[in-house]
Amino acid sequence: MADALRYAHPVVLGILLLVALPAWSASGTMIRDDQLRAAASTTAAVTAQVPKGAGVEVLARQGGWTQIRVSGRTGWVRMLSVRTTGAAQRDVGGELAGVIGLGTRKADPGRVVSVAGVRGLSEQDLKAARFNAQEVELLERYVVSRSEAQSFAREGGLAARSIDYLPAPAQDNRQTSPWGEPQW
Amino acid sequence: MVKGSLVAVLALSAVTIIAQASEVERALRDLLLGRQPAPAQDSTSSGQQKPAPAAMATPPQQTQQTPPERRPRTADLIGGLLSFVAEPPQTLEEERNIGRTVAGGLLGAAPLVRDEQLQRYVNQVGRWVALQSERPDLDWHFGVIDSEDINAFAMPGGYIFVTKGLYKRLENEAELAGVLGHEIGHVIRKHHLRMMQQTRALADLGAVVGKRMEGGSAIARNFMGNFWEAYARGLDKEAEYEADRIGMVLAARAGYDAYGLPAVLQKIGHVSASGGRVAFLFRTHPHPDDRFAKLSEAVGSRLDNLPEGKTLAGRFYRIR
Repeated sequence: MADALRYAHPVVLGILLLVALPAWSASGTMIRDDQLRAAASTTAAVTAQVPKGAGVEVLARQGGWTQIRVSGRTGWVRMLSVRTTGAAQRDVGGELAGVIGLGTRKADPGRVVSVAGVRGLSEQDLKAARFNAQEVELLERYVVSRSEAQSFAREGGLAARSIDYLPAPAQDNRQTSPWGEPQW
Repeated sequence: MVKGSLVAVLALSAVTIIAQASEVERALRDLLLGRQPAPAQDSTSSGQQKPAPAAMATPPQQTQQTPPERRPRTADLIGGLLSFVAEPPQTLEEERNIGRTVAGGLLGAAPLVRDEQLQRYVNQVGRWVALQSERPDLDWHFGVIDSEDINAFAMPGGYIFVTKGLYKRLENEAELAGVLGHEIGHVIRKHHLRMMQQTRALADLGAVVGKRMEGGSAIARNFMGNFWEAYARGLDKEAEYEADRIGMVLAARAGYDAYGLPAVLQKIGHVSASGGRVAFLFRTHPHPDDRFAKLSEAVGSRLDNLPEGKTLAGRFYRIR
């Protein structure tokens, strides 16, 4: 198995890299102090302290954790501690897809919406728009019932969990909210 | 005997149809027929039907399937929502009609993407996430609209839309759940009704917008114009931050990876602000980077022990 990987065709590896890299070949900046950990868990060993403002390389994400490389060390910090700054390839792709979509839709003269695609939906478009009863009727056809939603969740292996709402952060820089956990 | 009373009821009905907007007539009819006054179905056919201030303190409970709504604790109100003073006065029926009117207007500007599987899928995800909120049995409607803009919209009464431009940037179901969770947050905290309340004319118009007026009546069009004008000014920043916190929590409650929403904010933050595609979003919301930073502050270490949720990238419905 290891041999198979070692001798894998360079072109195949190249394609794998091209596919895997764009989403994560981003740089990032720490927006708060955090600890660099050996694995994506608070129980993993702390290997370094990473200060707010540090520039990092973003490698991967797993749940609430982002894998980074900073001054030669690789490890995990909380996902919300690092803001990615590099323009990920996927965003560029998204822009291109939009442009391509526009080109094809221009050929369809009946679609006024394609104009909105160029400069975006504006306040003027929305204010001038007329109520579209057919579309509302269509929208109502797609409504999903409580039980349908529940079986959809079961199919995906999703189970409801009990989690408190997050309180608003205090106006000053205190780390913990003086209001405590909200009760609902 | 029976015949006589039937005739009387029929005659009364005829009078009622002629003088439907009359408060006196309505009260008289209720009295004669021994009914509870002002049933929810009829409450919007008259503009004078708004509840008196004394009745505002009681949450609307016209429909049996809707549980009484829990209200924010003082702590949450102090925590950044000082500008929102009272519950919006709209009844549930009014809220639905307002939402339906504005939703119909939005769909007039950008119709639904013609992809039944896609529309069904966002309703499945959306309804499951909404079930984790304190308004689980609102008439939730979700849709993907045909616009290359990057944006999402929430309307009173549970009407929620994502643009195709935003949807195409999503990579898994958890990200969709986070985005829809943010919009659900606006609905359950009635952010847009509060926005309307701050503009009295808008609130008054909203109260008389009803199903029979939706098709382009002067009142409905006037209302839509004013609504979008207010909408384009954006909600209070704190309302957006609150919706972000709710979006994360609702997605996590639904069993998803809680970090889908911040992941989307990161992606949107990379899109050049000069592009027309994000113009409306950036005009009406704080910058995605600021929203990400606020979430970071709010979460801190609170979710450290939360077991990792599902992303369901494999099941995510992709559009071309």
